[in-house]
Amino acid sequence: MDKAKIRVLIAKPGLDGHDRGAKVIARALRDSGMEVIYTGLRQSPEDIVEAAIQEDVHFIGLSILSGAHTHIFPKVIELLKEHKAEDIKIIAGGIIPDQEIPKWKKIGIDAIFGPGTSTIDIIDYINRSVK
Amino acid sequence: MKTNELISKLKQSDVRAVARLLTLIENEDKNVETVLKNIWHLTGKSYIIGITGPPGAGKSTIVDLLAKMALENNFKTGILAVDPTSPFSGGAVLGDRLRMNSAQKAGIFIRSVASRGHLGGLASTTRFMINGLEMLGNDITLVETVGAGQGDVEIVKVADTTIVVEVPGLGDEVQAQKAGILEIGDILVVNKGDRPGSDRLAKELKMMLSLGEHKKWTPPIITTTATKDLGIDELWNQIMNHREHLENEEINQTRLGKIKYDLENQLSQHLYTRKLIQIGENEIENMAERIFNRDIDPFTAIEEIIKQ
Ligand code: B12
Ligand SMILES: Nc1nc2c(ncn2[C@@H]2O[C@H](COP(=O)(O)OP(=O)(O)OP(=O)(O)O)[C@@H](O)[C@H]2O)c(=O)[nH]1
Ligand SMILES: [Mg+2]
Repeated sequence: MDKAKIRVLIAKPGLDGHDRGAKVIARALRDSGMEVIYTGLRQSPEDIVEAAIQEDVHFIGLSILSGAHTHIFPKVIELLKEHKAEDIKIIAGGIIPDQEIPKWKKIGIDAIFGPGTSTIDIIDYINRSVK
Repeated sequence: MKTNELISKLKQSDVRAVARLLTLIENEDKNVETVLKNIWHLTGKSYIIGITGPPGAGKSTIVDLLAKMALENNFKTGILAVDPTSPFSGGAVLGDRLRMNSAQKAGIFIRSVASRGHLGGLASTTRFMINGLEMLGNDITLVETVGAGQGDVEIVKVADTTIVVEVPGLGDEVQAQKAGILEIGDILVVNKGDRPGSDRLAKELKMMLSLGEHKKWTPPIITTTATKDLGIDELWNQIMNHREHLENEEINQTRLGKIKYDLENQLSQHLYTRKLIQIGENEIENMAERIFNRDIDPFTAIEEIIKQ
């Protein structure tokens, strides 16, 4: 009897208060049958990585619209390495300039979804990469 | 992680291993029995505090403060927080952690659990998840139920001390009289003490208790305002009082009773599954059809199935 579910942690790091996108994503993932742990605003990279480990999630989803991704992305990646938890993948959304995306993917962000992405595409992506 | 590696890491209280074990338990993974068999003798060592009450009553906020309090008193603590699974999609947004910031900052292990269709306020695997969490070596396990209605009283089968949180303004009198859920409280909390009606609710609860049968332990009624950290030390003291009461009186008796209850459930599950494998799922369907057509009555049907 295998009842495995896809588990995703949705976090808003730093002081960024734009939480609409994060909530939209949380709800959409739930409606596609996933279990979403929503940790709310003002999470530090340490909080996020510790929570992701305790919750044993497949994905950390970072929603950042403030520009702070430039220091948060590398920090979260580094902390996952430190905890030997690189098997937890990172996906992200919000305001991330297009020209930066290849760079972030190279250092370990699995996928980035900008404004206007359909939630169906995001759900598809997650489902495909868990299989 | 291979099963052997997982077991040896669990014995070292490795956090990732514990988190993975909890996943295997809630997925009812085929390897979970092997793991639990190997660690069973190390479990059962934490004092289990259950927190239940209607949606939005402040359960998570209170759990957060209790965890901090436990830590200050040098108890190592773990938290399981159950939220409902959507019956439509099978998914869930687990939001209890949102209110558990200070516990999180203090490094306390928090696990959000989806009820996965189980009724009663917990998930069907919560009991074993508590045992899994105990591999961290915690002295106290805090278990928050789904925002509970009248019938969701399963927490008493699990917790040593059950705390029922009520709040003013839910049509309280009527609510209180139906009150299946109040009867299970070892401690009653009136939260949102800053809201009008909290004094009245506390009085009504007191009245109700005085009308009920007298037991060795009379549940204390405590008013708290969790958002201002008011009344939580009193709540903590009462939990410790209740624990002392149980230790003097009947804790092994009640724990034994709970294990017996679990065993009965597991056994009937097991026997059923075995029978099902033996006779095949179709046979149940056939039998149901025959009962429906009045070819056979349900009692004879069961006798026949058992004989097969
Ligand atoms: C609404 C809004 C606000 C609201 C926020 C309300 C709220 N609670 O969310 C208010 C008015 C409060 C606000 C305030 C501010 N805002 Co504002 N705001 C916006 C605006 C117009 C829309 C954002 C939005 O909600 N979009 C709708 C959601 C659904 O889209 P989304 O978040 O992009 O999410 C989608 C994808 O990005 C992706 N996604 C998002 N998160 C995630 C996570 C994961 C895991 C995945 C897979 C996908 C994913 O999926 C979603 C669906 O497609 C944007 C401009 C814009 N067009 O983006 C500016 C914008 C984000 N704001 C901006 C600024 C500057 C501010 C302020 C600093 C303004 C000020 N000077 O006061 C403040 C800061 C507030 C704070 N505390 O952080 C700038 C940011 C600039 C930057 N990064 O360099 C923007 C880009 C406007 C601009 N062009 O200048 N803002
Ligand atoms: N005014 C007031 N609000 C409170 C108090 N305690 C909690 N709250 C608020 O009530 C809301 C719900 O609190 P939670 O702790 O999430 O309640 P809960 O019972 O865990 O909710 P569910 O898990 O969703 O059933 C939050 O907005 C809290 O800030 C209190 O003592 N007074
Ligand atoms: Mg809660």
